[in-house]
Amino acid sequence: MLKQPPQPSSDPRVQEDMEAVVALERDAQLMLRVREGDDTSFALLLERHRGPVVHFLYRMVQNQAVSEELAQEVFLRVYRSRETYEPTAKFTTWLFRIATHVALNSIRDRKKEKGHESLDEEMLDGLERQVADRQPSVEQEMVHEVKLREVRQAIEALPAKQRAAVLMHKYEGLDYTQIAGVLSCSESAIKSLLFRAYESLRDRLAHMA
Amino acid sequence: MICLSKHEQGADLLAGYLAKTLDAPRMAELARHIQGCSDCRGLASVWERLDEFAVPEVSPGFDARLYARIAAEDARRPWWYRLVWPPIAPAIAIAVAALILFVQVPAGPDATKQVNKTEIEQVAQAVDDLDLLIPLENR
Repeated sequence: MLKQPPQPSSDPRVQEDMEAVVALERDAQLMLRVREGDDTSFALLLERHRGPVVHFLYRMVQNQAVSEELAQEVFLRVYRSRETYEPTAKFTTWLFRIATHVALNSIRDRKKEKGHESLDEEMLDGLERQVADRQPSVEQEMVHEVKLREVRQAIEALPAKQRAAVLMHKYEGLDYTQIAGVLSCSESAIKSLLFRAYESLRDRLAHMA
Repeated sequence: MICLSKHEQGADLLAGYLAKTLDAPRMAELARHIQGCSDCRGLASVWERLDEFAVPEVSPGFDARLYARIAAEDARRPWWYRLVWPPIAPAIAIAVAALILFVQVPAGPDATKQVNKTEIEQVAQAVDDLDLLIPLENR
């Protein structure tokens, strides 16, 4: 008797997991092709991960020019590493490990250079206008900008490692295992780190609730 | 009662609740608790607050700048670098191995002869040395 083929699960979480597995294999396969000299595969990887990497770095350093410069460094390192690449970890974990390393170095260097100087207000204002692509009233726009500024400041006030963990967890959809892989910590350490970070954010953003 | 701040699995539960990955009974239980607990309500609302942090679009010239940097870096590499780059490295390795075999094979018999000759000379020298060590009265 023929065995019944497995039916696709209707559970969206299972489907998401399956899609993630397929995506993982595709990324690793693409990177292996890059290792063999296929530049088209590098272009595909860039297309898939450019946005998440730039956005993660933007939220880490809160400066568009710097975040794009750092993202260039990340993809340059990926390209340079193609010859020695082995798919021992998820591609995304590897990629975000590079991105986090680059971001933490940049934050450390900026602190050294400028003594934790505040962000360029003019640049921030410009970016806030850029991301607000709706056509709200002046009052709505002002309220939105104030909220945005407070969120940015709350995130910026987190210790760099907590900040990276929250950004990967909240915005990039990395799970505990991946974040632990990126930050070279145990999963339990990451859970505790995230909890402390969310508690800090709650305290800082309590007045916005 | 599940209070995120007091529960030993609070971080797990919070993250699961915020990401909506807990099972339905747990989600419902937490949602009920959060209604009456300001600490937990604050934690849960963090997720929504963070949604305010939008990001700008990536600049249109991003890829072009990256490829220009890659090209510049490739141009700075020495000419021999391509010879050791993995896609053609196996071919180079085979060619080198073939060259070594080609050089070694004709030299094979002569080399064996040389080794044999050296061994005979060493044995003869050892016998001479033994002769010198044996006292004359024992001869």
